[in-house]
Amino acid sequence: MAKEVKKPAKPEEPDLLPAMGLFTILIPMLLSMAAFSKLAIVQVNLPERSMMTNSDEQPEPDQQALNLSLGITNDYLVIGARGGFQPNVYFKEMWTFRCKSDAKLITHAVEDVKAAVESGHGPKCKDGSEMDKEKYLYEIEAIELWAIHKESEEDPGRVMWALYTNGGTAEEPIADSAYVNGNNDFLSLPGEGPMGLTPPPALKKPAAGTALATLTPNSARQLKPDVAAKNLIYPLSAYDLIAKDLIAIHTQFIDLEDVDNIIIVANYDTQFDKIIQLMDRSKEAGFSKINLALLGG
Amino acid sequence: MARRTRKYADDVPFSITSMMDMMTIILVFMIKNMDAEGQLLTQAENLILPISTSKLQPTEVSLTIVIDANNVVVDNEKVVATSDVNEQEDLCVQPVLSTLYQKRKAEVDQRLRQGQPADEAGSVVVQIDKNIPYNVMYKVMATCGIAGVPSCTSSEGEAGYEKMSGYTNVSFAVMEKNGGEE
Repeated sequence: MAKEVKKPAKPEEPDLLPAMGLFTILIPMLLSMAAFSKLAIVQVNLPERSMMTNSDEQPEPDQQALNLSLGITNDYLVIGARGGFQPNVYFKEMWTFRCKSDAKLITHAVEDVKAAVESGHGPKCKDGSEMDKEKYLYEIEAIELWAIHKESEEDPGRVMWALYTNGGTAEEPIADSAYVNGNNDFLSLPGEGPMGLTPPPALKKPAAGTALATLTPNSARQLKPDVAAKNLIYPLSAYDLIAKDLIAIHTQFIDLEDVDNIIIVANYDTQFDKIIQLMDRSKEAGFSKINLALLGG
Repeated sequence: MARRTRKYADDVPFSITSMMDMMTIILVFMIKNMDAEGQLLTQAENLILPISTSKLQPTEVSLTIVIDANNVVVDNEKVVATSDVNEQEDLCVQPVLSTLYQKRKAEVDQRLRQGQPADEAGSVVVQIDKNIPYNVMYKVMATCGIAGVPSCTSSEGEAGYEKMSGYTNVSFAVMEKNGGEE
């Protein structure tokens, strides 16, 4: 009898459809949870306990040292060194929100926001809707300090306008780095109208081919046509004014032993965001050892 | 001449094996990616980190302090209300100090068991909402610095931990400007 040869059965594929269904749910869920912003850190070294408690054994202040401090109040920034102070850099605090309703940026003066909230309303968005008056703080995208030009202490001052690179898009421009000319001066002028909130017509965007730089080292360049077209006139940031002074101080006193040290002194109610901005400007200027102190503390 | 057409069997099943491979790779990549950032990033509606130009990448740190509008959280444990810290007169925040001291002691013990030097300063990552007043941040920072002692009133550490330093290497977590794009 002929032996019956058994044909090998065709291997059956496992039913993967349920697994596919699970994956199709998992991937969008993980995507929605993913944070696409990159995290970084700003390092600070706190004094040791022994240095904090032995107040009687503190060394005599070195008269030759720079003893640089950077103070921030609700109205101005000021640099102090060797017991003296530079002129105050006055500012007008502005909050830029990204509204949840239309996803667009809108900038309001702090006083206007507080007045609106006190009257029971949230800050307004561009589409006319109101932000939640309880949670509007979490919609702040940036806390801006617009530099104010004052003739005297009593003068309410006018907002300074300057030429900036565009860190955003053509539709939604964002002021990024302020330009300086060959003399290391900002291309800036006081604004017009009440509080100088209207850009000065005399401040024009430079044409392509103009040689300019930013505060970043070795940033001198000739403006390319596409860059020149994208540049914007925007209120000059008090942070940029301070950054320029800090760079100059660090360069001038490079030989001093404590040239890398800076103390940031702030009011009790200064927002943490402002402290980080000042730390950034200090580190960029070369001050790597940052200490913190309370104003009047 | 008539064109010959190849005949296919009617019952060819739709193969999704290759699709499964792709999905598995994406899933593993995403889970791994989330795990890498999970230690630092606490997603919360009331915690918005400030934006910074810093490019320093966070290193692995065992302890994280979160300060949002409502609470000061140490290692995922709510320790004290932020408003209480803001209102208190003293620079040292006792509930935070007690928690930090226990964590620091555990860290020192572990290092000693592993035969490593225990006199190194502690490191902590602090996530602070950008609207938190400096007053709160300053008090919590001061408390981190003195976390080598058990209470705000003591000047010496416990027996065996006399030389224990506090958390003096502080890293503030920030969001990179432009999402980290060059």
